Amino acid sequence: MNDDDGRRRAWGWVAHLRSGGSTPWQVWRERGDAGADVASGRALPGAQQLELLRRLNETGRPSARLVDRVLEASAAGRGSPDLELVGAATESAFGPRPVDPARLPTGELLRVATALLAEDLAGVEPGAPPTARTRPWRRGVRVVGDPAAAQVAQRAQSARGVAVGHRSPVVVAGGPLRRLLADVWVDRCFAGGAPRWEPWLLGLEQRRRVPPRVDLARVADTWARRSGVERVTVELEPRPRGGEPERPSADAAELARRVAPVLGLMVTPARRARLLGDVLRPRLVRLPGGLDDGRDGLGVPEERDEWVTRRARRMAEALTRGDYAVAGDPHAVLPAELPGVAPTGSGALALAIRALGETGAATGKATGEADR
Amino acid sequence: MSKRVLLHVGTPKTGTSHLQDVLFRNRRRLVLHGLHYPAHRFDAHFLAALDLMRLPWGGLEHEAVGAWDALAERVRRTPGTTIVSHEILAAASRSQAARAIESFGDIELHLVLSVRDLGRQIPAEWQENVKHRSVVSYARFLDMIRDPQRRGRIPSWFWSVQEIPDIIARWAPDLPPERVHLVTVPPSGSEADLLWRRFAEAFGLTGLDLDVGTERVNPSLGVPETALIRRINRSANQVVPPADYRPLVRELLAHQTLAQRTSSPRLALPPDIHDWVAELAQSWVAELRERGYAVVGDLDDLLVGPPAASYADPDKPRERQVSAAAVEAIRALLVENATLRRDRDRLEGELHDARSRVGLRGKVVNRLETSGAGRRALRLYRRARGSSSRSA
Repeated sequence: MNDDDGRRRAWGWVAHLRSGGSTPWQVWRERGDAGADVASGRALPGAQQLELLRRLNETGRPSARLVDRVLEASAAGRGSPDLELVGAATESAFGPRPVDPARLPTGELLRVATALLAEDLAGVEPGAPPTARTRPWRRGVRVVGDPAAAQVAQRAQSARGVAVGHRSPVVVAGGPLRRLLADVWVDRCFAGGAPRWEPWLLGLEQRRRVPPRVDLARVADTWARRSGVERVTVELEPRPRGGEPERPSADAAELARRVAPVLGLMVTPARRARLLGDVLRPRLVRLPGGLDDGRDGLGVPEERDEWVTRRARRMAEALTRGDYAVAGDPHAVLPAELPGVAPTGSGALALAIRALGETGAATGKATGEADR
Repeated sequence: MSKRVLLHVGTPKTGTSHLQDVLFRNRRRLVLHGLHYPAHRFDAHFLAALDLMRLPWGGLEHEAVGAWDALAERVRRTPGTTIVSHEILAAASRSQAARAIESFGDIELHLVLSVRDLGRQIPAEWQENVKHRSVVSYARFLDMIRDPQRRGRIPSWFWSVQEIPDIIARWAPDLPPERVHLVTVPPSGSEADLLWRRFAEAFGLTGLDLDVGTERVNPSLGVPETALIRRINRSANQVVPPADYRPLVRELLAHQTLAQRTSSPRLALPPDIHDWVAELAQSWVAELRERGYAVVGDLDDLLVGPPAASYADPDKPRERQVSAAAVEAIRALLVENATLRRDRDRLEGELHDARSRVGLRGKVVNRLETSGAGRRALRLYRRARGSSSRSA
């Protein structure tokens, strides 16, 4: 096969993908399927973009606009430049080696997918969360501690026009330390920035501290000084205010963590936090694999078990000594048998493809054809 | 075509910080000669490059939102010759490069690439990694960049900013060779201002009266100093956040303190990979000669010299040298800490004075303002004080 044959075949594959095909490049190449005019573009799209489009086609029918966007996308962040397809042309002595796109590392595909998701988000105007006029006679409860519980409570109260003031009772929402750590990391992913899960935990262990907002005894002490000890209660048994928190899966949090820095190049930090928390988060938890349904939640790796247990024991002792009220057994902060998994790049990519497919799907066959 | 853009896209470690500093400080003077360097801050083109390439950079990217489009807009509005320069542009993909060039509108593009031999670039890039929190050993770094698949962030970044024939292929696939300008970094031991003279020739600055002082340079470290920073990274990465690492480790320790130790052994290529690097450099030089680009300097500057007579391995440094460097680092931290303590004490004193001046009066006013009677009393007092002040 000479250079022109290879390039024609590659352009034929691009046309196949554009029309919704999902045949892998190697199969297409070996089958000797039809080619296309070499002059149909200046340079072939990169292998990363083509493979992402193929995988999108496997899961649905992307709109013509999304197809164009994928093929023209730039991969975000550090990594390989746009890669050539193996067999599409004679190998140059310079530049990265051409690749079989099916064998690309997940991270390379995620660089393109997160750039597209970030572009989508940057174009959205997040609606204001539902609020009602504040009614001063409706005295609310200030919920602090576990960010998942605190956020749900805060939104529920604000929707009902409940006022939370200096003299409101303070509830420090707690639970098993493992879950609190996971909730803080997930919250950071959707707020705009977090290191990877396991290095973050390792960093906490090395700094000998738990995140300040879930250091329950310290939080309770602080609010006792601020509002009076009689107003503070640490709740260690689930008593959801405003409903049970919807926890994103480990992979959903990982995807948000990867989208955040790219989105940071498009919008201000404050807007990014709203887009991630108010737009991406609900979008992801609606997707298959996006919600922690009891199995897909974030798990603490075994290597950190000993440290978590030690810290939880210290926390339980401190809670027992505190002057504030504690609802539930202080030992509830100790590790319980919680199922959990580590976030994975492949899981995050699968979710990204679903999210892209959902927002950029052709509305129907007729529309899809017309779009093209 | 009346507008020209000189687009300088790299490579790192070739004196680019000095060039950009001179261009920025002299930007008003350059306008008198029809040359424009559109930048409102010294790192404006860096931020634009981050934006173009969607490259997160330790939080700095927040300042880069919309920076490329703003730069391109200024280029489109500017008559005459405009210079755009940043070395990380070397890593742009084909699509990013095409977007960048298209954003300038109808211009005569000249691509400029400053280049230095791989024998110096390889150790310099490893050192740059170490100064950006890396804990990767020199041996591991060398293994990674020799992997033909270039898997991982370090090798993919290294080759994307250093492989000269590929950078030009990404940026200027269709540009006539006379519009691609290579500025070669002279060999070690050349005249001190020779590189500047080459830059001046490439950018049309020769003969202009410019302030070319060297305020902004990126100084290099010796072997024990680099080994020390790597050890500090291993120990402190998890406890020193990036925002603190930059001023404390990279600036205070590496640039301001350890880079001053110029008598320690310098980083070099290990003898066992010398031939591989030399052959690679030869193949690049042959390719670049064949392509016929405009060269300022000499392509032979890119050839790798003979192996160093004695090689100091940064993975096995002499411990006495590392200790000496560590003592200087501790001294610098103590001096810095003492300065900060003095500042803190002074500020605490000022705060205390300010609080005692407003304390009692503030408490009385706050108390009075909580009740209707108090507010009325305050109004009466202020009225009385106002008339008494006037009479005084």
